Amino acid sequence: MHKTVLITGVSRGLGLACARRLLEGGWRVCGVSRSESAEWSALARAHAGMTEWRSWDLERTERIEAGVQEFLPLTRPVHALVNNAAVAYDDLATNVSLARLEAMLAVNVVAPMMITRAVIRNMLCHEVRGSIIHISSVSVRSGARGLAMYAASKGAMEAFSRGIAQEWGPRGIRSNCVVPGYMETEMTAGLTADQRTRIRRQAALRRETDVESVAATVGFLLGDESSAITGQEIVVDAGLS
Amino acid sequence: MSADDRLRELANRVRKHKGVGEFDRFVPGTRLREDLGFDSLDLAEFTVRIEQRCGVDVFAAGVVHTWGEVVARVEQHDRSTARGA
Ligand SMILES: NC(=O)c1ccc[n+]([C@@H]2O[C@H](COP(=O)([O-])OP(=O)(O)OC[C@H]3O[C@@H](n4cnc5c(N)ncnc54)[C@H](OP(=O)(O)O)[C@@H]3O)[C@@H](O)[C@H]2O)c1
Repeated sequence: MHKTVLITGVSRGLGLACARRLLEGGWRVCGVSRSESAEWSALARAHAGMTEWRSWDLERTERIEAGVQEFLPLTRPVHALVNNAAVAYDDLATNVSLARLEAMLAVNVVAPMMITRAVIRNMLCHEVRGSIIHISSVSVRSGARGLAMYAASKGAMEAFSRGIAQEWGPRGIRSNCVVPGYMETEMTAGLTADQRTRIRRQAALRRETDVESVAATVGFLLGDESSAITGQEIVVDAGLS
Repeated sequence: MSADDRLRELANRVRKHKGVGEFDRFVPGTRLREDLGFDSLDLAEFTVRIEQRCGVDVFAAGVVHTWGEVVARVEQHDRSTARGA
């Protein structure tokens, strides 16, 4: 039987790379994002019958419960979750706009917590010893100008993940964070060439983090080979931190 | 099957999962924690099993402590869905 994984933010970037890798590994992928990109559609066509997609806006946290009940009702077992979708809010702390801060916290913190709630409930119903991954960021460790609020949202998820690991470990449910370094995706499209060069120079491997390496780590943490790993943060950052 | 019978089946499934024997002395005053031996994780599992089978989250309207309270919430839900049908 194919196992089912729910991945948020599958339209592009890391979420799309995770979906591709997991499909190749035989997983059935339920994906959500606001837009259905051409890349996701092509992937879905290449793996006909193994993908499903819904348009969810994770900023609308009040809709998550109904969304889960429709997409993944308790009658349908879920084996894994990748909380990947996030937005970066880049600004000095002195400039914080309350509306933008709350929107970011909704997508990066509240939504993944509510989705985790639903997925664990589903796993309990089916006695599934599942695996949950949250995508964090090296900015939690290194700190960076302009990223204080974003890094704080990721730090919240690292703390949440450890709590989930302790709370649900007795039922065989695992929770881990994957912590990527700088990846060339739409999230970082606004960086200047100078900034990119500087980040690459700071990394031990003198390069950016490739999404494939991060997606492979996600695949490993979802699989049985990692069955004794829980409550951890696995850094995949080309030696940036 | 009555709400009581459905719930007995579910409660015993949780107990089986826990590795303890079947419970057969259900009375309205049976306490979920002390008599059925459910800890908070077992109660969470019991809740979602009830939600899947009976379509209602019995803890949503506040904590329940006894068997009678759980049965009452499911019966109340059964009645309101029957009226709506
Ligand atoms: N890029 C980096 O350097 C870097 C470094 C460290 C950590 N990370 C983390 O890695 C993860 C993936 O980032 P990425 O680089 O792949 O970013 P990305 O290219 O911007 O992709 C973000 C994904 O999240 C979805 N998303 C954003 N807002 C959403 C909303 N309100 N509702 C539903 N879906 C939403 C987007 O889909 P739609 O726009 O279609 O909704 C998209 O699929 C994130 O958790 C990010 O914080 C990234």
